[in-house]
Amino acid sequence: MSGDTAVDGLVQILMGVASRYWQLVKIDGAGRRQVQEISPAKAFFIDVFAIADDIDCYVPDIKVQLQLLQLSRDASADRWLLAQRCLLCFISWQIEQVCLQLAANFGSVHGFSCADLLPYVLDDDGRLQPNGTYQSLSQKILQSFDPQQSNLTTWTTTRVKHDAALNQFLLECGVYMVSDWAILNDTRPQQLERIFRDFYALTPPEIQQAQQLLESYHAVYRTARLQQRSQRIGGKCSTPTTQQLQQIATLLQIKASLTLNSETVMTQLQKLATQLREYRIHVRGGALPTKSLDTITGDEYIDTTKALDNEDEQTEFLQLYRPQFLACLEQALAIVTQSRVNRLQQKKGEKAKKFLQALKLFHCQNLRMTEIADSMGLRAQDAVTRLLKLKEFRADVRQQLLLLLCDRVFDLAKNYSHPDRLTTLEQQIKLALDEQITQVIKEAENQSQTAKINTIENGLFSERLCRYLDSLNEEI
Amino acid sequence: MTNLSQNTPQMRLDFESLPTAAITLSAAQITQAVELSSKIKNSSQQWQIYIHALALCAFEEWLAERANSLTINRERCTTFQPVLAKAIAAVANLYVGKFKVCLISTGSLTDDQIYLPQAVVDLPEYIPHFYVWVEVLEEEDAALISGFLSYQQLREYQKKVNLQSTEDWNYQIPASWFENNADRLLLYLRCLEPETIALPSKNENTQILSTIQNDLLALLPQLQSPGTELWQVLTWEQGKVVLTHPELLNWIDNLQQQTHTSLVSDSLKDLLKLLTEPALNVGRWLWDELDELAEEFSWRLLPSLTPTAAMRSATEEFPAIINELQQRGLEIPPIARGAYQDFLLTAIPLRLYAVTWHLLAESEPNLWTLLLILGTASHTALPAHLKLRVSDQTGVLVERGINPQQGDSYLFTRVVGNWDEKFLVSVTLTDGVEVNLPPFTFSFRR
Repeated sequence: MSGDTAVDGLVQILMGVASRYWQLVKIDGAGRRQVQEISPAKAFFIDVFAIADDIDCYVPDIKVQLQLLQLSRDASADRWLLAQRCLLCFISWQIEQVCLQLAANFGSVHGFSCADLLPYVLDDDGRLQPNGTYQSLSQKILQSFDPQQSNLTTWTTTRVKHDAALNQFLLECGVYMVSDWAILNDTRPQQLERIFRDFYALTPPEIQQAQQLLESYHAVYRTARLQQRSQRIGGKCSTPTTQQLQQIATLLQIKASLTLNSETVMTQLQKLATQLREYRIHVRGGALPTKSLDTITGDEYIDTTKALDNEDEQTEFLQLYRPQFLACLEQALAIVTQSRVNRLQQKKGEKAKKFLQALKLFHCQNLRMTEIADSMGLRAQDAVTRLLKLKEFRADVRQQLLLLLCDRVFDLAKNYSHPDRLTTLEQQIKLALDEQITQVIKEAENQSQTAKINTIENGLFSERLCRYLDSLNEEI
Repeated sequence: MTNLSQNTPQMRLDFESLPTAAITLSAAQITQAVELSSKIKNSSQQWQIYIHALALCAFEEWLAERANSLTINRERCTTFQPVLAKAIAAVANLYVGKFKVCLISTGSLTDDQIYLPQAVVDLPEYIPHFYVWVEVLEEEDAALISGFLSYQQLREYQKKVNLQSTEDWNYQIPASWFENNADRLLLYLRCLEPETIALPSKNENTQILSTIQNDLLALLPQLQSPGTELWQVLTWEQGKVVLTHPELLNWIDNLQQQTHTSLVSDSLKDLLKLLTEPALNVGRWLWDELDELAEEFSWRLLPSLTPTAAMRSATEEFPAIINELQQRGLEIPPIARGAYQDFLLTAIPLRLYAVTWHLLAESEPNLWTLLLILGTASHTALPAHLKLRVSDQTGVLVERGINPQQGDSYLFTRVVGNWDEKFLVSVTLTDGVEVNLPPFTFSFRR
């Protein structure tokens, strides 16, 4: 019956698997995920909630958690430790869920798995008595939890997402989260006015108050941020200190005759940031930014289609300039490769050498990005993508080629006086060079694991590039 | 699973991918940007300049990586001129090869509108060939070249849409006007001829400045409080003139930092005169010539200072003064030349001697000096409340008064300037009673 399905669905949302209150997700000494059953916690839980010892048993999470919280605060010595242990177990599952989600959303593109994330956030060893003064993340989450403000699931998710070590690792992988404070730093009062008026349809007094809050925040927080920066402290914006919140409150008192305590200022600022974040999501069409993945951008496809309609023109272009074209291509490849190598040599490590190596593996041995990463000992495919920057590399070659052609072919020069004609010219070169390779790059960038690359041999670009790379008398 | 499914979309939106094209800013670049911003007192402007400096570093980094044949010239860039950096919320007057570029920065808050300061859209002094949109992710120490828009394209859009500036002198334009393929910007910078994108030529607005100088005299002092912005006090028509005269912006900056030592109104009045009034070229005195302006104001050239010439001098008073000054230790080289002018100040006949020479300092070869001696035409004592004031573009340089006990018969002072600097000399009796002479300038050109 359909009614039953709906009830089941509701049960799924409100109820949780009971065993999560006595089973702990943890990392073992070798860094592997492990589920540890804590028997005293299990006995305690079954006793308190009078449930069957059944692995599939469901309990109402929110009710159970509230009661456990109460017990962990009021009950006698061993009972509060057990109640707390049950909650910590629950938190560990939730932490894992957040990591799973992150890995599912970003892991494949940015080359990390859930297992890479867990060590940063799962540091609860499962003891009943806390070990010395060390506080695990789960304990910190539990201690800062306020059931009036949030529920434990949401609170855990929030805290994990904001974990500094986790964020640092993610940033290294090319994934980041903008903090509330960065959003507020980056918002102009005029922008706020427009967003609150047009998007939220707020009244002028409400808008004015929000602007005064933002301006007061700017005056205090940005100044402090710059001071930190001057002491070379940077990275994630930290939560405003109580002292900063008080300073903001004082400014608001002067500006707007508003008397607020620091907690209220904090809540108001977070509300402001949330509203701005939601606007931001709206602007992005509620989706992930498409440009954030380095796929070939849409407009290039359009350009290509447009140019393809004019295939005759392209053939004519090639016929007219073929001898010069080939000579210039070789020169352009050499110039661009060399300049990239020079630039990379200024950086530490063996980046320049690795670049040449990866370029060769990609173009001459037709390896996929993931295979290149493996064979070169790079963390993941995206590290290769970042190293090669193929899209940019190809654009630079095309443009260098244009410059060289212009010097050689006098009648091309007239095309340089108009942006549209110059663009068409570049597109013609792009087509002449692209042949099959655009498809190859697209596949590599889309991380298509199954597509087999087989049509690369005839690519003019690759052919000449490999010839050049071979001519480099270096150990690549 | 429990309510995890509710978290999923939010999680996807909280986190973002840093594009491959993101430019990572080094610790040194960040420190440099902080240092640049620390010169600014006002905290919101300080942040703005910090972000602009980061945008500039990212742009330079991007160009260096992609097109090392293109040279960047930041010499005239507004970001390095504090008064312009404060007044124009963009990195204007940056040159890439032969192209003029203006960087517009946004932060991590994605928006569908971009703010372009009116100055970089309407004032030829700051209009670029290309507006480049740089997204600065300050928290991530990273930035992105997010798009660009040529001046020509902007004009075309402008023709279709009736674009109105906001109250605070900005244009809000849709982010979609920017072309998001940064490679194409490189194509243009590398291959296009700058003439392709015609930029409007500069307007000569000295005329406008003279017509509104009384308004400015009344309005500019209202900018004293450091938080006050130009648009809060001036109309755009007035603002246009101020924004194209860095000397006026400088004056406002000094006002806000309260470094003016003399009367605010005096220094502003003098500055406006220096900017609007034609100057007489004392450099020509060294060629034994007066320019037209000097003749118009009846200046008279004095014979050269060589001893033999002094003997033949018709004006006996002058060598005596020079002699006295030399005895007091003032070195006046023989090549120095002087002239004088007689004028009336409330019926008192006054005489101003001006002596000039070229200073041959090795470190700064383009210095000249102006020695001024004020006396009465009748060789009697000067009136008690008389003051001699000399100003340049930066403010009042000196103000000399009579020592009432001694009853001086001369006031004298000496100022030194570069070849492009002008001096304005005013003689004041009491408040409001004053004589200004045309500004003095120095050039070897005839």
